[in-house]
Amino acid sequence: MSLAHEREDSLVKTLKESFPSDIKEATVVRRSRINLVVAPDKIADIAVFLRDKLGYDHPSGVSAVDYNREGRFEIVYHLSSIKTRDQQDIVINLKESVPRNSPKAVSLVSVWPGVENYERESIEMFGIQFEGHPRPEKLFLNDNWDGPPPMRKEVRFPTD
Amino acid sequence: MQAMSPTEPGAQTMTLSVGPQHSGSGHMRLIVELDGDIIVSAMPDPGYVHRGIEKIIELRNIIRSIPVIERPSIIDASNLNHAWVKAIEELQGVEPPARGQYLRCLINEMNRIMSHLYWLSIYGVFLGHTTMFMWPLGDRELFIDLAESLTGARITYSYLVPGGVRRDLPKGFAEEAIKRTKYFEKRLDEYENIFFKNPLFTSRAKGIGILTRERAIALGSTGPTLRGSGIDRDLRKDEPYAAYGELDFKVHTRPGGDSYSRAMVHMDEMRESSQLIRQILEKLPSGPVRRKAPIVVPRGETYARVESARGECSFYMIGEGGDKPYRARYITGSYRNLAAIPEVLKGVRLADMPTSWWSIDYWPVEADR
Repeated sequence: MSLAHEREDSLVKTLKESFPSDIKEATVVRRSRINLVVAPDKIADIAVFLRDKLGYDHPSGVSAVDYNREGRFEIVYHLSSIKTRDQQDIVINLKESVPRNSPKAVSLVSVWPGVENYERESIEMFGIQFEGHPRPEKLFLNDNWDGPPPMRKEVRFPTD
Repeated sequence: MQAMSPTEPGAQTMTLSVGPQHSGSGHMRLIVELDGDIIVSAMPDPGYVHRGIEKIIELRNIIRSIPVIERPSIIDASNLNHAWVKAIEELQGVEPPARGQYLRCLINEMNRIMSHLYWLSIYGVFLGHTTMFMWPLGDRELFIDLAESLTGARITYSYLVPGGVRRDLPKGFAEEAIKRTKYFEKRLDEYENIFFKNPLFTSRAKGIGILTRERAIALGSTGPTLRGSGIDRDLRKDEPYAAYGELDFKVHTRPGGDSYSRAMVHMDEMRESSQLIRQILEKLPSGPVRRKAPIVVPRGETYARVESARGECSFYMIGEGGDKPYRARYITGSYRNLAAIPEVLKGVRLADMPTSWWSIDYWPVEADR
């Protein structure tokens, strides 16, 4: 039912109008969930817009996904809003893709300080570099870990 | 994490390593920089109990993953389990029967109480309050027994499965549960008298370990930590799932943002969960508890979340039609609140460090996963 997605549709519309060429895809997945695929070089601008203009001030996490068959990593920022009371249930998945052979992205710690740990985890687990990250060190892994980034798809368990 | 640097000659501060041997519950380390006995900065160093669960669950079918999913927080097993089955059900389009949904809420609220009691007992340890260590652990048995009669296991139940729950209520459960929750609420009054109104606790918690509203939002805090900074957010209300939309309960907040506020939110939530258990048993609909669900993760993606004892627990799951997910990103309440630890410890006296950081209810195993 389209009525049920009124808030989501209007968010998507605002975003598309503000960034007509930088947003590759903006879709309402279902009630309360929006997917936003953006160009990696414009993600910082869109992030600031999301935080300041739309009130998406509360970072809920960052996921990295290894699409090895497509030769890319996808980085997904999960964002929710404290500022806007009637959008309490909405989560925006802000996505960007970086090539697998040179995985470099811009850090969004300056926009949402809360994403620092998640980005650090993506650095060690997937080998993605985040430019401008204040502390690009190991988070969970040992400092002397010299194996491949363990969450990459080609890394298998010995028992697997 | 950088190597420990000893105090340099003429330096104003000293660096102290706290942990990794059980600085609270579960192994983790805090690197604390001190000026006299004031903490200038505190940097958490997690990872000592990292199990690579996100990798493990990519390699096993969704049913075999359930016990693994529960492991990060065995004291709050069913809430984590709920996030997992919810993600799977969202992709499958399966809706459990009403009775199953109510029973999920029942075990979730029992877990919330058990988890908060465990947290409280360790708070007692940190304050040298032996009674507050023993009482909550003793009273936790009230609910452990109930959970055992319902699921067959004391703490890690694997009770929730895609499509519903494994078992229906045993005979006499409701009567016993009502008796026990009423007794428990009387015990909470005694806790207040002996602990929460005690200067031993209040003098070391009020106004100490501040997490402001603004910082709580920016750092993405969640659960009692967020509500202790005066922010009224609880997924059970904000995005009602299972039977929570039909239940009557209050979201408790405290405006202070200090250790005291966070502790009192836990206390209030235990009372609320206790009455919720009775309410669930009263409103419990009849019918089946489980619907058939295939062992398959259909193609697609979802971001499913629940309110666990320590806040939002979410799965970002991507399926490609097999019996295991292509990717299942697992973010727990403790992991979210890890970022708040340096914030609350800044400017606190070393002696107040344990009570300040434990007020966040940070469970190292749950954060490391």
